[in-house]
Amino acid sequence: MAVVAAVAIWFVARPLYNPVLASATQVVARFYEWPRAAQILVDGDHAILSRTDLHSESAVLRVSLTQINFNLVPFLALVFALPGWWRGRGVKRLFAALAVFFAAHCLGLLWDLKAFYALSLGPWSAANYGTVLRNLYAGLRYFFEIPVTFTLPLVLWVGSYWDRVLVLTGLQVEARR
Amino acid sequence: MRSFREFLATPAGRFVTRYVLFLSVGFLILALKPVNDRVVNPYTTFVAHEARIALNLLGEGARVTGQVLSSPRFSVAIYNGCNGLEAILIFVSGVLAFPAPWRSRALGIATGFAAIQVFNVVRVVALFYTGVFIPQWFGVSHVFIWQSLVILLSVVLWLMWVKRYATPITVR
Repeated sequence: MAVVAAVAIWFVARPLYNPVLASATQVVARFYEWPRAAQILVDGDHAILSRTDLHSESAVLRVSLTQINFNLVPFLALVFALPGWWRGRGVKRLFAALAVFFAAHCLGLLWDLKAFYALSLGPWSAANYGTVLRNLYAGLRYFFEIPVTFTLPLVLWVGSYWDRVLVLTGLQVEARR
Repeated sequence: MRSFREFLATPAGRFVTRYVLFLSVGFLILALKPVNDRVVNPYTTFVAHEARIALNLLGEGARVTGQVLSSPRFSVAIYNGCNGLEAILIFVSGVLAFPAPWRSRALGIATGFAAIQVFNVVRVVALFYTGVFIPQWFGVSHVFIWQSLVILLSVVLWLMWVKRYATPITVR
């Protein structure tokens, strides 16, 4: 039931979540560049990464937004599987964790964008990004694509609901005075 | 800032700190080129051969070229991220970060590694047949369904290990 609820919420929220994610990431990307030409358009479940100051026939990158935000499903499933997860400050903790997810998804998309600019636009990339930046953005893209995406659900679940996770595991919690 | 320091002093904070540390070191090691060339790529090929054996038991007539698993009906390339190493790392880091005797940790790691191996072969075979029979669902199945299941499996295995072997947590 927890998995079904998580999938249902993800499917309903995704059409709203994806444009907000793309817009927020575009704002962040433009915040520290000049000219402010980073462009992220949403096409269904994908983001189209490009620049407004390049020729219209320049390369664009199509990125799966599902690959970025699917980890919400296992996280929500784990939360909903906890008995009484909403009690106490459970709902507040859920929204705090979702805010961290949103920040991580923004950064994941941002590093996709920056790695695309640094590595895939031929002479323009070479003229604007040195070796250090190319390696940095490629490394950040990898870090957010695999390690962060795969580990965030467990980290935030345990971090947010430690007391309930202990109860779920059946571990005795002894009070020490 | 103060509340964050207070969180780090709790059992949850200590676990999360250690867990993130083990994960970071683990993923950093896996990302190194010599490790990738000498460990990750051969391991990925090994996973492809495991799946080939399973498919051939089902009469598929599959073969492996490098990290590409193919039959007359379909072929899949197994990349980093699809070889199960991430799931293993998530599980192993969770086991190492949680307070428990070393013997229990070793037993947990060995058992979890084997379980994740079996699961990953099932995953590759299932994806292969998804590609054969409903190729339009391959992308959704690969990214959404199986990656979510991989994460959930790692967490469930970790929970089972904690429940069976870990040291009870003492709180003040």
